[in-house]
Amino acid sequence: MDDLRNIFTCPSRRDLLSWGVAASGCLLVGRRLLAQDQASGTSALPGPKLKGLARHEALYWEPRAEGRVQCTLCPRACEVADVERGYCGVRENQGGKYQTLVYGALCSANVDPIEKKPLFHYLPGTQAFSIAAAGCNMECKFCQNWQISQFRPEQVESVLVDPERLVRTCQAQKCPTIAYTYSEPIVAYEYMHDSAALARAAGVGSVMISNGYIQRPALLKLCRQLTGVKIDFKAFTESFYREWCAAELKPVLATLSALKEIGIWFELVMLVIPTLNDSAEEIRDMSRWIVKELGPDVPVHFTRFHPTYRVTNLPRTPVATLDACRRIALDAGIHYVYAGNVPTHPGENTYCHSCQTELIRRVGYQIKSNEVKDGKCPKCGVTIPGVWSQEQALAFKPRV
Amino acid sequence: MSGSSTRREFLTRAGAMAAGAALGTCGRLALASASGLDQSEPGRARVVVARDDALATGEPGKHGALLLKVLNAAMQKLTGAADAASAWRTVFKPADRVGIKVNTLGLSTQPAVVDAIIAGLRLADVPAANIIVWDRFDTELGRAGFTISKSGTGVRCRGTDAEGYGSGNRPEIEQSGAVGSAFSRIVADEVDALISVPVLKDHNLAGVSLGMKNFYGAIHNPNKYHEHNCDPYIVDVVAHRYIRPKWRLTVCDGLRAQCHAGPGHHSGYMWPFGGLIVGTDFVAADAVATSIIEEQRKQRGLKTLEEEGRPARHVATAAARGLGIAELSRIERVEI
Repeated sequence: MDDLRNIFTCPSRRDLLSWGVAASGCLLVGRRLLAQDQASGTSALPGPKLKGLARHEALYWEPRAEGRVQCTLCPRACEVADVERGYCGVRENQGGKYQTLVYGALCSANVDPIEKKPLFHYLPGTQAFSIAAAGCNMECKFCQNWQISQFRPEQVESVLVDPERLVRTCQAQKCPTIAYTYSEPIVAYEYMHDSAALARAAGVGSVMISNGYIQRPALLKLCRQLTGVKIDFKAFTESFYREWCAAELKPVLATLSALKEIGIWFELVMLVIPTLNDSAEEIRDMSRWIVKELGPDVPVHFTRFHPTYRVTNLPRTPVATLDACRRIALDAGIHYVYAGNVPTHPGENTYCHSCQTELIRRVGYQIKSNEVKDGKCPKCGVTIPGVWSQEQALAFKPRV
Repeated sequence: MSGSSTRREFLTRAGAMAAGAALGTCGRLALASASGLDQSEPGRARVVVARDDALATGEPGKHGALLLKVLNAAMQKLTGAADAASAWRTVFKPADRVGIKVNTLGLSTQPAVVDAIIAGLRLADVPAANIIVWDRFDTELGRAGFTISKSGTGVRCRGTDAEGYGSGNRPEIEQSGAVGSAFSRIVADEVDALISVPVLKDHNLAGVSLGMKNFYGAIHNPNKYHEHNCDPYIVDVVAHRYIRPKWRLTVCDGLRAQCHAGPGHHSGYMWPFGGLIVGTDFVAADAVATSIIEEQRKQRGLKTLEEEGRPARHVATAAARGLGIAELSRIERVEI
């Protein structure tokens, strides 16, 4: 999950308005912030402020006795009684029918570098129109965007943006990609699916920035519309997932294997948290699993933790720890391993896995140079795995 | 609070009936009580189950006067006070800022019950401006028949969040046991005494949705705490410093109760219990209310909650944590 802090800790509404459309085409809508430039009439996302809930019939559920429903979208498989909601807080049983409450209810919209997702091998140097709705199907105690992911839609200020308007706005902002990000897009499945389908038809790609907590049928259907995926790989132990994310590791592994099978471009991010998931043994086990099950070409980002939400008693990740993780993963055979949230670190750069030539130099989210030519290393000519053109992105067809 | 009667009407009724709320005039009236402020022996609790046949029929809004009479009688029995005003003063002081937490999800608290409670608080000289009726959302309160009132000198009634843009939770995450939540500003900042007014009803996960479960409405993320029959999460919530030290009274609305398929409204499982369950030991009040639901289930040939795989574990957990008494053998269930 890429970090929304810069949005939610922006100094003032005035600042936001002055930066917003004029500077970067940035529209920020979030809890306690509405940076829509209504005064000047120039709004990146001209949706009306949402009153009430954005209800829409949900996909992936089955009726049960006495008006209950069983959600089959994510591995939790919540059985939900009438008037109650699932664990995500954004899907509700109304009279024996399951509804999503966030169809087009965007609480955050921003034009971000694709590197911020982070996706390093997907159209580097381009912008992604990045959006979110409230809700998540995990509760990571270290969540960076908990102000929107862990709240329910009534509790987060949102604007209503239907799929058509989203795609038009993305095009107006000259973004080749829509990124479903910040919170957990899986729980806004219906909107993401419909928008991505429309976007694809309009020549716009869609990437999902997700925890990967989804059941296979829903994933397969969704990947017919997506053009890239980033998965937050929280850790490589069940105990970590249970204790720190209120979830399970096994379904995430199944998702990763399914993504490999589908053939969609995806990258992995692991937020390295001191003492919790940073043991050399765990990193080694995870790296070996990745190489064996997913192959060596899946980029892995080890990113720096900073104290937040319910984990405020641990320090930021030492850079040396990120270095160690990176070294272990490279030694295990993963070709592209990055260090994240450490601007100017050499681990931000892309080096050819064959000849080690520096291909892409980054400082933070900025691309300083990009030597990849037609998806190949200019020096040794080896193919660099990734998505290097919009045509390539839109040409993707799932293998299953 | 209800649309059908005014605060003035209730105050008038309160004044007229306060002195005359004798048990004998209430028909089949039942009382029970709890520990602490109640008159039970040490190590025991008293819970009052106050019923009247008339309350089991017709529109609850038409029974305002009778409800107050029944509630006052219950408070007297609970506290051992000689009259209704003294009973309320045993539990509430004039300077208290009182939050009345209703339940408006599914089968909802009747506004008439809340009106009776407000009248009781007024007997204890709690100013109307010090009383707030609240739940999660304005919209849910409205659907349940409450009139939103956010300002003025009278009793206020509002949700923590106005649907569309909620800002009613405190910004920080409070840890309480396994729970990490942003609490409602109402419970955190605006009140120093709480009355829980749940509905006597079944819950598909927790077994029952009663006085303790009602405070899931005080946190921003109750959907995160439904596993393992909501246990120990319900207890973690009510044990929090914003709730436990402030919680003075439970008045469980049993006018219309539901023994299965809750918390949504399912008429096939409702029955006209026609009474209130009142206690100052909130664990004991929930234990008695749970037993009433189990009794009804048994009468209908339904499985026990345990057999259904959703025992009300949290009641025993609360007792184990020392929050109150859950063993029915240690609870004096007083019925009138």
